[in-house]
Amino acid sequence: MIRLTEINKTYPGAVPLHVLKGINLHVERGELVSIMGASGSGKSTLLNILGILDNYDSGEYLLDGTLIKDLSENKGAEYRNRMIGFVFQSFNLINYKNAVENVALPLFYQGVSRRKRNMLAMEQLEKMGLADRAHHLPGELSGGQKQRVAIARAMITNPSIILADEPTGALDSSTSRDVMALFRQLNRQEGKTIVIVTHDPGVGRQCDRVIRISDGLIIPDESIKTDN
Amino acid sequence: MKIQFFDIENWKEIGSTLARNKTRTFLTAFGIFWGVFMLACLMGGARGAEDLLRRNFEGFATNSAIIFPNNTTIPYMGHAKGRRWQADHTDIERLRVLLPEMKTVTSQSAEGNISFRNGRHSFSGQVWGVEEGFTDVMLPEIESGRFINEADVSKQRKVAVVGKKVANELFPGESAPVGKTILVNGIAYTIVGIAYQTSEIQMNDRIDNVVIIPVSTFQKGFNRGDKVDVIMMVGDNSADFSQLEPKIRRVLYSRHQIAPDDTNALWYLDISAEFSKVDILFMGVSFLALFIGLSTLIAGIIGIGNIMWVIVKERTQEFGIRRAIGAKPADVTVQILSEGVTLTAIAGMAGISLACLVLGISAALTANETSTPRFQMTLWQAFVIIGVFILLGTLAGLIPAIKAMRIKPIEALNDK
Repeated sequence: MIRLTEINKTYPGAVPLHVLKGINLHVERGELVSIMGASGSGKSTLLNILGILDNYDSGEYLLDGTLIKDLSENKGAEYRNRMIGFVFQSFNLINYKNAVENVALPLFYQGVSRRKRNMLAMEQLEKMGLADRAHHLPGELSGGQKQRVAIARAMITNPSIILADEPTGALDSSTSRDVMALFRQLNRQEGKTIVIVTHDPGVGRQCDRVIRISDGLIIPDESIKTDN
Repeated sequence: MKIQFFDIENWKEIGSTLARNKTRTFLTAFGIFWGVFMLACLMGGARGAEDLLRRNFEGFATNSAIIFPNNTTIPYMGHAKGRRWQADHTDIERLRVLLPEMKTVTSQSAEGNISFRNGRHSFSGQVWGVEEGFTDVMLPEIESGRFINEADVSKQRKVAVVGKKVANELFPGESAPVGKTILVNGIAYTIVGIAYQTSEIQMNDRIDNVVIIPVSTFQKGFNRGDKVDVIMMVGDNSADFSQLEPKIRRVLYSRHQIAPDDTNALWYLDISAEFSKVDILFMGVSFLALFIGLSTLIAGIIGIGNIMWVIVKERTQEFGIRRAIGAKPADVTVQILSEGVTLTAIAGMAGISLACLVLGISAALTANETSTPRFQMTLWQAFVIIGVFILLGTLAGLIPAIKAMRIKPIEALNDK
């Protein structure tokens, strides 16, 4: 599903910063993996490249068989919309839109009619157990509820991968467990490929595989036993 | 690729965005609303004010002059200074012959404090002696009957046109006492007409308060011989009264033996010059309105641009989120511009509507029986005002919109 080959990324500047120094990474369809690393290790940059939010200098990135390289802003937006579902640490919901409208927003950019996208969004919210919160604004929801709305938004376009950036970073431990359980459920039941960037070992343990990144390089794979 | 601007989904999205951010929408809209309102009021108001001013000159010939004989101030040809002289019909005839560009040369003579009587009702005021040409200079409103005509003058008829107020005092409760008799200084006259005036210009007194009789009858009744008080002239389009003044003075001075340089012996009132002064005033008012209007417009546009700028700043994260989940740069730009255009159009219409209401009330309050000042804009002006606001509002929104388009999703999302 994700295949990175010799990805290099340097931030230009007075002292150029070589952040990614030849990343090779392969994530299979239906995998639930976490990317872990200390701050400054390059994991955010890696996530941005995976999410088509940033370009890379050399190498090759194949997402679901599509080469992602030197895309125009428009093409990038289209690919993000159709192939990637984002979940962020700070939820990044639009605060003046209610839960249904937030979930439906990606479909707006696909030109889906309001009635149809609200219907689909409602279905997603029901799956997340948030049907009764559908018409609440983000400000009226708890952290865990907000993150579940964000996950519903990530799922609505039926993307190839879900990219989650510290999805439990702003949540307490019990809510974190719920959110992780939700990710695992989506992974197991719907076969979603999910990549979670985290520095929380507890989150890492709940994934099929942990990819460790340090100083711009992947540390060779370390298989994690799934705890059923 | 679909054109987003014409997509109904896009408009629904804009509608809900504007509706959800009520304070922001209101503040932006109010700025535009106020700008349009002020501009529309100024444009319509200037026109109405001009009409109000012009109304003062209604019913008076614009291209005209009035000659008032005065006592001489310079000794000349054996006459001492301070001599009283009067114009007469020979002067009128000579002016008529020598000044072919005159449409009318006529006169007015007045006698004050005359008693008018009808039975036990009495009133006192001025009596005017006029010719039929008087109506070329000053157009009285005839309520009923007619004005003095040529036959009245040539036959020295004892007929009178009575001012409306005089008629009301002498014939209370009678709507049109035409045909009745009025005693003027004890002499009976038949009333042929009732007149009043709407103009604010008056010669000696308002027509409402006087009794007007044929000049011939007047001269006989008050022992004036052939003399008249003032000569009034109305010229055709080619007549320039400021250029004609020396010639007119020469005609009168030579016949009455007045020193050619004795300018005080005759007061020459050039009405057309007075009117052109007023025209300059109107131009000044229009210019001022335009200037203030343009300033309001510029202030309004800067306000819109400023608010748009703040809004884009404030919404950086939102646009970042939108970009991350699939909005193209153009989607964001179109969104901001469409929001701006929608707001400007709605607020603009509201501003124009309120301005129309205010102008309408102003017009209703200042209207009288003969005229309503045009406190109004043309439809064309209204469209131009809104059009200009939409155009400039869009341009003002364009800079922040382009800035928003350049926002990279990661920058926006990191900006926590």
